[in-house]
Amino acid sequence: MAESTRRPARRLADAPEQVARREEFSPAMRWLIYGILIFGAIIMFLPFIWMVSSACKPQAEINIVPMTFIPQNVSCLQNVTELYENSEDFNRNLLNTAIMTIGRTLGQLITCSLAAYGFARFQFPGRSVLFALCLGLLMIPFQAILIPEYLLIRSLGWRNTFMALIVPGAFSVFALFLLRQAFLQIPLELEEAATIDGANPLQVLWYVTLPLSIPALAAFAVITIQAAWNDFLYPLVVANAEETRVVTIGISLLQGQRDTPWNLLMMGSLIATLPMLVLFVLLQRYFIEGVSMSGVKR
Amino acid sequence: MATQTDLQSTWSPKYLLGRTPLSRRRALWGLALVAPNTLGLLFFFGIPVVLSFVTAFHEWNGIKPPIFNGLENFQTLLNDPKFWQALGNTLKLVLITVPIGTLLSLSIAILLNQRLHGRSFFRTLYFLPVVTSTVAASIVWAWIFQAHYGLLNNLLAGFGLLDLNWLTRPDLVLIPIAVVTIWQRVGFYMILFLAGLQNVPRSLYEAALIDGATRWQRFRYITVPMLSPTTFLIVVLSVIGSFQIFDQVFIMTARTAAGGVGGSATTLSYYLYQKGFVGGEFGYASAIGLAMFAMMLAVTIFQLRLQRRWVYYESTDG
Amino acid sequence: MKIRRLSILLLVVFIFSVLSAQAQDGATIPAAQCDAPGDLTLRVWDENWAKTVQTIVDKWVADYCPGANVTVNQVPWGQYWDLLKTDASSGDLPDVFNIIQAYGQEYINNDALLNLQPYLESAGIDPSLWGAGSVDPYRSAETQDVYATPLEWVTVAIFYNKDLFDAAGVPYPTADWTWDDFADAAAKLTDPANGVFGAAVYAQYQGGYGDWIASTGTPPVVTADHTTCTLQEPGSIEALSFLKDLLDKGYMPTVSQLGGTSADDEYNLFKSGKVAIYLNGAWKLPDTIRDVTFNWDIVQLPRNPTSGLSRPILHASAWAASANSDNPDLAANLVQFLVSDEGQKIFADAGGVAPGNPNPELQQTWIDSFGDTNVNIQAFVDASKDTQSATNFNGDAFNQATADLVINIFDLGVSVEDATAQACETMQPDLVPAS
Repeated sequence: MAESTRRPARRLADAPEQVARREEFSPAMRWLIYGILIFGAIIMFLPFIWMVSSACKPQAEINIVPMTFIPQNVSCLQNVTELYENSEDFNRNLLNTAIMTIGRTLGQLITCSLAAYGFARFQFPGRSVLFALCLGLLMIPFQAILIPEYLLIRSLGWRNTFMALIVPGAFSVFALFLLRQAFLQIPLELEEAATIDGANPLQVLWYVTLPLSIPALAAFAVITIQAAWNDFLYPLVVANAEETRVVTIGISLLQGQRDTPWNLLMMGSLIATLPMLVLFVLLQRYFIEGVSMSGVKR
Repeated sequence: MATQTDLQSTWSPKYLLGRTPLSRRRALWGLALVAPNTLGLLFFFGIPVVLSFVTAFHEWNGIKPPIFNGLENFQTLLNDPKFWQALGNTLKLVLITVPIGTLLSLSIAILLNQRLHGRSFFRTLYFLPVVTSTVAASIVWAWIFQAHYGLLNNLLAGFGLLDLNWLTRPDLVLIPIAVVTIWQRVGFYMILFLAGLQNVPRSLYEAALIDGATRWQRFRYITVPMLSPTTFLIVVLSVIGSFQIFDQVFIMTARTAAGGVGGSATTLSYYLYQKGFVGGEFGYASAIGLAMFAMMLAVTIFQLRLQRRWVYYESTDG
Repeated sequence: MKIRRLSILLLVVFIFSVLSAQAQDGATIPAAQCDAPGDLTLRVWDENWAKTVQTIVDKWVADYCPGANVTVNQVPWGQYWDLLKTDASSGDLPDVFNIIQAYGQEYINNDALLNLQPYLESAGIDPSLWGAGSVDPYRSAETQDVYATPLEWVTVAIFYNKDLFDAAGVPYPTADWTWDDFADAAAKLTDPANGVFGAAVYAQYQGGYGDWIASTGTPPVVTADHTTCTLQEPGSIEALSFLKDLLDKGYMPTVSQLGGTSADDEYNLFKSGKVAIYLNGAWKLPDTIRDVTFNWDIVQLPRNPTSGLSRPILHASAWAASANSDNPDLAANLVQFLVSDEGQKIFADAGGVAPGNPNPELQQTWIDSFGDTNVNIQAFVDASKDTQSATNFNGDAFNQATADLVINIFDLGVSVEDATAQACETMQPDLVPAS
């Protein structure tokens, strides 16, 4: 791209438009970029396409060699019916997962934004130690604590309850880390201004810090919701009873010792995945339309 | 500001929280704010972690009561060739997946932050791996890497390259694992980078333009530093995540030789699982967990120290 | 049809009277009233069994234990053993649950299972009626007491694609075909132009190399007492070399070409018409009947020319009860009903795997449950005449050794001598020291 346009803007107010004009890519660049993006996108969604195509195949067409992406006998609806017949109460599983996910996300939103704010803006004795301790918890492989975790839940009498599914998941190191990084990037002056005006820390958090962290909050929401929605091993160990069974377990119940109806499995996974996708499509505009510092609208 | 006239008074307990009433109040607020999350974490995860560490000094098969055996597990660990092999595999995976994953997600995020047609659509596509079921993903990737019938080898055949046994050859098996790991990560970190890019004030770009900066200069002197907190976050999480790679190994090698032929795809987490759940040696598995923790802690502390050199925060209160 | 059925019945009666370890024909396993009703939990891994078991349990409650309450729970196979381990660690095992022989000794030796011997004796049931191959893996090594009772038996046989045989002009195999006949057929059926392999018969312990080794008269991989690796014995080398030779000549696909070593990987190629002959168990019959579009049939494993044996591996899953159960007597009573004639009849009616109870009528019920298929299901029953009981067990070194063995020989081109030596070395930590 030629740099012959390297002259200062005539008027300050023209700067954005000139930025915009200068930012236009040359056609060759555009095609290259689109090419890369499309190639990458194909790799990204290939498994998803397979998921969709398998979800609509009859059992006989699954896993034949060579792999086919278009079913000969499209049987999406039959698979849905069969799925609901074969897995007890799939809708109940979806509902349980929703309850668990919402519970965990709200819990983390409260506890982690409070804690992130505390770590980011306040000095207190033992701050580094506590933060390091929390961070350290991320570094334990889950397989090592699976059994002790289970024993703890059991001794609390929380087996097969929603408490077990929600409460331990209402605290998070990842969210703490993410939100703390986000809060640190907000200029202190704004918060100090609010404090001078008489706001207590909670009010500062609510009225100043959080609104300025919308992109990070949206990212947090997507990631946390997705993690809760797809949690498998932990709910299996602590809450496998029918009343509290989540959808990941419901789907895996279709897998047998020697036989697995892949088409039903994929249909179940697809149904379970759709809410996540919808959520992402809705929330992703916050990644770009978030309130930015200068408030320049596009 | 408190004066230093009386040295002794600075050490009295009254000043534990802070020297001035204001700083003391702030300290109390700080403690109150961090309390819910910290206490919750310490209870629900700290206790199991402590239990796990204690188990590392015992011999336990999961059914009968544990027997204390001191440092025996750790001595065995140091002399265990499979442990060192797992460590080697894990380090290789960390060194491959972290840089490539970070750079790829950064590039994608930047591209998708530009004014291009259909970028919402692309963003959704790049997010798909995050929501695709791991089972589906592993089946498709196993097919892509399959000899004779698989997608990749058919493409390579077009270039006259050999039919490679990606998933069984000990020297090749880490590549599919790394590819799947990166594939799963890109969408995830892309989100974080996109959020980070939003926090770069446009005013900085505008000012740079007025000064006549090129696109590359704007990237290097504005975007990179402003993104550095996000990059730091991603690198730390990525390293910790890659240290604990398990699912991909479990699923992709389950169909051939679990953990790879001769343990060639066994990572530390996978070795832990093998020893604990398959071999029934929970004491030894906990010792592996403790060793992993120590290693990750060391690496993270190193990164935290290093961050002062290259991470830029808008506010200085870091 | 009637004559055929009658002859099958007679054959089955004859077979079971000579089943390799004094299985008594016409033996019945009675059910008994329970002493006092109570609550029990029951766990299975198979989703089909879960439904059948619910029916069986309902009958038990109605006829033998009114007022009892049983919660049937299914955990998928992939997580079954991890979850069982977690439960065992807290003393929380389900009262009654399914177990396989790979885990039998481990759970017995750790006092996790209820000793069923006294209950069987007081009910007048002689455990040897199940046949040593089915019940011995569930006996305590010291006392020979039985800790779990077989609920099914499975063995393997050859599935072959009749259409491909016709196209290649190869006559269908008969029950006394030999390894040489097999090699011949595999050679003629391989069609590289159309991407067809003659056979895929090596990948698994049961349903693969293990059966070929057993047919030389050698216990496959390890001895039954888990003390010695048998892979370097002449029979093992012979079988593995035979199979490797077919692979090297291109008549069988490599592991990478199969996509994996599971039975389903070979099945998928068979189903797609890419493999003409493969080895699998009776559990695959329902799926094969439903999915396969070409003409196919079943025949026993070919005979080893030297030993004259066609000896597939037999495996039997079992019902076990928890040693920590709150209601051990009740649990034992339920187990007894589950393996009794009545309980097993419901199981046999549901099709799928053959019921463990050797009563010939039940075996016939099983064969009938498939309906009119034109397929020689009897071959499985014939195959059960001379079987090798499974010797494998669960251990991380053992699992690694066997998995590596298959890939080294059938994918990475390692010689049989080297691969077997390596496997024996790898599994050393898990072998029981010979006392």
